[in-house]
Amino acid sequence: MSWIRWLYPSRLLPGITRAASRRVGRWARKRQGDDGPVTKLQPRRIYILPTGVGIVFALMTLAMLLGSMNYNNNLSFVLTFMLIGVGFVAMHQCQRNLVGLEVSFAGIEPVFAGQSAQFRIAVANRSKSPRHRIRLYIGDVQSDVQDLEPGESKIFVLPVRTERRGWVTLERFGIRTLFPFELFRSWAWLHMYPKGIVYPHPAEHAPPPPATQTALGHRQHDARGEEDFAGLRRFHSGDSPRNVAWKAYARSEQLLTKQFSGADMSSQWFDFDAVVSSDLEERLSVLTRWIVDADRTLEDYGLRLPGRSFPPAHGDAHRRRCLEALALFGLEQADG
Amino acid sequence: MARARGTDGSLLASLPWTLLALAFALLPHVTYLPVWITAALLACAVWRYSIEVRRKPVPPTLLRAGLALSAFLGVLFTYNTVSGVGPGSALLAIMAALKLLETRQRRDQFVLLFIAIFLVMSSLLREQYLWSLPYLVAAVVLIMTAWLRTSADDAEPVRRSVATSSRLVMYAAPLALAMWIFFPRIATPFWAVPIDTGTAITGLSDTISPGDISALSKSDAVAFRVTFDDKVPEPKDRYWRGLVLHRFDGRAWSGLSEPMVSSGALRSIKTSGEPVHYEVTMEATRQHWVFALDIPFHWDLESTFLGPQHQLARVQPIDQRIAYEAVSYPDYRIETDIDPRRLQWNLELPEGRNPRTAQLAREMRAAAASDRDFIRSVLSKFNQEEYHYTLEPPPLGSNPVDRFLFETRRGFCEHYASAFAVMMRAAGIPARIVLGYQGGELNPMADYMIVRQADAHAWTEVWLPGAGWRRVDPTAAVAPERVDAGRTGAMFDGSGAAWGLGTPSMLLHNIVLAWDAANAKWNEWILGYGPENQERFMNWLGMDDPDWRQMLLTLVALVTGITMLISFLLILRYRPPPKDRAAILYGEFVRKSGLQPQTGESPRVFAVRVQRDGALPAAVVQSITDTYLDVRYGPPDPALLQRLESNVAAL
Repeated sequence: MSWIRWLYPSRLLPGITRAASRRVGRWARKRQGDDGPVTKLQPRRIYILPTGVGIVFALMTLAMLLGSMNYNNNLSFVLTFMLIGVGFVAMHQCQRNLVGLEVSFAGIEPVFAGQSAQFRIAVANRSKSPRHRIRLYIGDVQSDVQDLEPGESKIFVLPVRTERRGWVTLERFGIRTLFPFELFRSWAWLHMYPKGIVYPHPAEHAPPPPATQTALGHRQHDARGEEDFAGLRRFHSGDSPRNVAWKAYARSEQLLTKQFSGADMSSQWFDFDAVVSSDLEERLSVLTRWIVDADRTLEDYGLRLPGRSFPPAHGDAHRRRCLEALALFGLEQADG
Repeated sequence: MARARGTDGSLLASLPWTLLALAFALLPHVTYLPVWITAALLACAVWRYSIEVRRKPVPPTLLRAGLALSAFLGVLFTYNTVSGVGPGSALLAIMAALKLLETRQRRDQFVLLFIAIFLVMSSLLREQYLWSLPYLVAAVVLIMTAWLRTSADDAEPVRRSVATSSRLVMYAAPLALAMWIFFPRIATPFWAVPIDTGTAITGLSDTISPGDISALSKSDAVAFRVTFDDKVPEPKDRYWRGLVLHRFDGRAWSGLSEPMVSSGALRSIKTSGEPVHYEVTMEATRQHWVFALDIPFHWDLESTFLGPQHQLARVQPIDQRIAYEAVSYPDYRIETDIDPRRLQWNLELPEGRNPRTAQLAREMRAAAASDRDFIRSVLSKFNQEEYHYTLEPPPLGSNPVDRFLFETRRGFCEHYASAFAVMMRAAGIPARIVLGYQGGELNPMADYMIVRQADAHAWTEVWLPGAGWRRVDPTAAVAPERVDAGRTGAMFDGSGAAWGLGTPSMLLHNIVLAWDAANAKWNEWILGYGPENQERFMNWLGMDDPDWRQMLLTLVALVTGITMLISFLLILRYRPPPKDRAAILYGEFVRKSGLQPQTGESPRVFAVRVQRDGALPAAVVQSITDTYLDVRYGPPDPALLQRLESNVAAL
């Protein structure tokens, strides 16, 4: 049907090209060294090869050249040489489309093991002319294709599959372009090794958290009554909008959350030792599940790990601290 | 079919351009292709585009296969062959139409664009006019624009795609020129060039019957162009000999169907007087005959020989424009001492045809004292009796010579030549008809002679003992101005209206001549840039005796040099923008402060730090920062820049 796809050697011989690409990539790393947080693409690190379409184009111009010679037809010589010239120009244009771009790591959101980590890479065009059809890739995974106007900087997202908790590192990734005519593919390899954190996978079938020891010393009744207004406190992110004191906000422009005496003000401790399991990963997984659930229900919770503990609180920062601790528990903490 | 056939409108931004490129590539073919092919491609284009607009599935495989088969059979049926430029371009058009119907991905359009390129190339094989060059450049720009659109962002404005592809083609132009000049040309083709019989070429044919030449005389197409080395022959000597006809069936004259080589032909020519040296650039005729001034004696065209009737012919048909140098002697005698028995076939007349003419000829011969006397009396009959020279003679019946001589008395050169030759033969004088061109117009713009199809002419040769074959042009007896003035036959029609000599038509004629001069140069230097011209050009460049290795080396060196230049242009294109004045001034302020702004530190925060540092006066620091921010983010105001300048200078 679409036989043109077979013109792309990467589809024709995926295994061979992948292995070759890895090998050349290793060589490139040895040659150019590891990259800093902001890397400007110098011409000497940009590689270029014809694509399948480019090879067909070359064969076509060769056939046209033979035809022109046979017919001694000077106008078809003109046509042939113009196309050969366009091929030459396309090669240089393709390489120059990458030269001088600035690549930097623009952060990553933590993910749970099994999700894909979305590495955000910023590419800045600090030149007078637009850059076209830029794409980032790692292995067979590709980002969107984007154009960069002069002075513009755009974010490219590279998803990386995660399997285990801890750090996820973006290995060698590439930036490539097929612009202008897809006759050539030019690319550069980057070795920045940006890292992202991977939380443990929240256990699917976790036992309920152990009976609550309230920090306040007394256990309120279980009914989630929200009838008795008890006062206002500062808004924490995660508070239900239903409980926000909108009238007070209109007056003072300060977000306050209504508190009710009937509300469950309990705070729980999630204790590493309280999880009944012999497997470390499973324990961490269960703890993760508890934290995620507790965070969702706006409960205060604390986390106690061997050697570390986080007193009950809630909010994004607390959640992050706890989950990070779980993610890196027992691993060598390179960056703390 | 397992494969999905659906479309999602993703081709909407690129497909119109691909279609436009295809249409433009097809344009020169339209007049040659059968109408159904153009219609089919057009229909497929509309069909496919509406599929994309309505996001419908493309037609099923079986339907497409059926269409492909019937289209292929259609081409086969139309042309009876699939090789040659005509059927080749028809097949390309069909392929484009069918590929269009299965195109679903952007990349599939590359195939369509490849076909467009081949269509452009095949149109160049068919015809190469002066405007073909701008056409092909435009086609390349259009095709490359479409190529760019296949991968461009949907939101990219069209103007930008056109600008990009034009820029890249412009960069490619000097490379193409260098390659064009220095790529070594070879003389002989690798394999036989298929002759396209589909296209009609105006010109003389192998036979002649009444009306053939008068049809030609309306064509101002160029037959050949001649450059004379020194003197230009007199108008009365401008007889361009082509083929000789000796068989007469009562209506039409024919000659040898295939050219024959006669080893004795050249030896039988006795020349006297000054030779004429000239070079002919002859348009393709698809025939073997090579035209030369009567009578050719030397020529430098390969495998070209003089035939038994002194007609010059090349073994291979002239299917491309050719150039040759030749030497002719206007003053000549041929076959003066041939055995008259060998001339028997120049006396044959079909039994029972044109009886009145034969009767008249015998009577006139009997009345004349000699053969020469008889010839003179026949010519004076044409001259003095009521005979007219006209482009539109009345139709003649089954005895055309009788009817012409005794009834209509109106005719063109072929009528007079035919009637004259028949009369000669009837009277026992060997006679034959020579076809060629007579006359030619000198182009004052570029010093060469144009011989057009309108100059096509037929005259006779009679053999007289002792004198050999002598040229007799009966048309000259009727319309001497046809021969003497050296003007084109088309200028004289039955009504006698000649070209007006008023200013507008003179101007028009000069424009025509200037255009022809441009075409002649174009043919000589662009289309005729073969091994000889290339060597001449290399010599002019200072390369003595260049061989293909030297040329290829020069080519590589030039291409490398030009590529470096292009690379440099691209570096300039992608250089960072120059800093503006405000940024330079602020940079100077930063330098003078002795501090370094941190990443992400705004000018205001930095100003606070500088003020705390205390090295610079706080008020000036504040003023500089405020002015800088105003210049940066406020409306343009030269006064602000002025203030910034003086503030920084004051530090």
